[in-house]
Amino acid sequence: MSTRLARILTTIFVLAVVLLPIYWLVSTSLKANREITQEGTLYPHVPTLDNYVRLFTEKQFGSYLTNSLVVTFFSVAIALVVGAMGAYAIVRFRLPFATERKIGLFLLTLRIIPPVVILIPVYLLMLSLGLLDTWLGLIATYTAFNVTFCVWMMESFFREIPVDLEEAAMVDGDSRFGAFRRITLPLAAPGLAATAIFAVLVTFNEFLFALALTATPRAMTMPRGTATLIGRIDTDWASMSAAGVIGAMPIVFFALLVQRHLVRGLTMGAVK
Amino acid sequence: MQGARQARKYRLQGAGLDLALPYLMLAPGLMIVLGVLIYPLWDGLRASTRAYRYGSPISDVGLQNYVRLWSDAQFLNSLWVTVKFVALSVSFEAVLGFALALFCLHEFRGIRLLRTVLIIPMVITPVVVAIVFRLIYASDAGMLTALSEAIGGGEAQILGNPLNAFIGLVVLDVWEWTPLMFLILLAGLQSLPHEPFEAARVDGAGAWRVFADLTFPMMRPVLAVAIVLRTIDAFGTFDQVFVLTRGGPGEATRLVSIYGYDTAFKFQQTGYAAALFVTIGLVVLALAFSAIRLLRRVDAS
Repeated sequence: MSTRLARILTTIFVLAVVLLPIYWLVSTSLKANREITQEGTLYPHVPTLDNYVRLFTEKQFGSYLTNSLVVTFFSVAIALVVGAMGAYAIVRFRLPFATERKIGLFLLTLRIIPPVVILIPVYLLMLSLGLLDTWLGLIATYTAFNVTFCVWMMESFFREIPVDLEEAAMVDGDSRFGAFRRITLPLAAPGLAATAIFAVLVTFNEFLFALALTATPRAMTMPRGTATLIGRIDTDWASMSAAGVIGAMPIVFFALLVQRHLVRGLTMGAVK
Repeated sequence: MQGARQARKYRLQGAGLDLALPYLMLAPGLMIVLGVLIYPLWDGLRASTRAYRYGSPISDVGLQNYVRLWSDAQFLNSLWVTVKFVALSVSFEAVLGFALALFCLHEFRGIRLLRTVLIIPMVITPVVVAIVFRLIYASDAGMLTALSEAIGGGEAQILGNPLNAFIGLVVLDVWEWTPLMFLILLAGLQSLPHEPFEAARVDGAGAWRVFADLTFPMMRPVLAVAIVLRTIDAFGTFDQVFVLTRGGPGEATRLVSIYGYDTAFKFQQTGYAAALFVTIGLVVLALAFSAIRLLRRVDAS
């Protein structure tokens, strides 16, 4: 009986620790600035949606959202196609000097290096190509990050698919690439989904490169745009909290919908 | 067996276009990686041996940038702050995550809700996590101030005080990443074999004995993997600090990543910042490889 009580209390405690900060964000976003700073109420006494309306009418959040969606979509889609092909080649072909295995290891090593290491040269590269503050600059950068991830994730999924099925298709006259496209790829669909989901999450949330590579609402993504609201002295808490809710909402809903697939990517494959 | 595999391989590779197929399939990915990762890596190394003015190189300075790092008090301080931050955050996350995983090992009602809710902190945009905690810590609009005033206290002073701001940052990281530790460790616990635990139960071993002699030793490799992953990740923490404190007050929360960013984009010392980032990269790689070697030894024994 006492263990049951302890369980209930612990569960409630953990839920409170996780959810209270989020409650405060949402609750603040529904208050007017005066209520936030002067009255310090624990819940919105006069709830209002003004803060949200202002984000889109005065603060360009429509552009930020569009930019985020475009950049995330293209960088994940390209990386997924390119990465799946690369992973398949690494898993299924035996090249001279075990080249394919070396390439796999090399891409994995690249993933360990923190991205911040190439921040400056990527900035200089985009500067010299005239791609600062454009969708293309961000898409190119994020695609590269996503490719190493997709190759490495898809490798483990392709390994689980028996080679016999492809052979059967080829005996029936399919080409090798045809067998890959018609047999292996559909079988790896759950793996592709898991990979895409995690890539979307990371790309949508990325901030450091967006900070260095974009400067105007023309290309600023959601996290980057949200950070523009942060003043050093006077902070517009109402807009900031509403921006936080808008910025987090799509990705949290998305994550909760697909949580089953998320765990593998989040734990870098340590957990299946 | 070997012969059969050989024959199968031969049949699979076929002729003509099929011979070029592996290279055609690898090429697009490698080209992207070459252009946007490898070239910048090389360019970063080159930049780290130069002095820049207004974003263009003006002279070669050899390894001077690297030498200068080790007599730069601000860099050394940022390194120290980072090490403190990583060590404290990751330790708390490991202990709390392990405790929570042990707690959730037995099925009970509410566990699914708990696991779902625990996903939220790690998927929320890090910038928004920082906003959430600014809203908690702020002396005028913060939750802590509101709570403290509700029970008759004064304003909470968190982000203006060096020690409190640093603790506040650690609390943020623990809130955000304990769930990840929990998920990894729970999966580890669930994959442990049952027999030793049943034997211990038959022998009448107490809960603490079971933990100290069975669970913990068997969990050591998983725990090590989780700690290494988090350590590498925490070393590069940037977004949360940038939004929460911008490295302040003073240098209290200025991690190496923040110092590097400011050096490059605020103080425009491109070459020096490149050397700083290369150094961080080498530290993290060294950390990762020594961890991998350590793990191999644990596995072997």
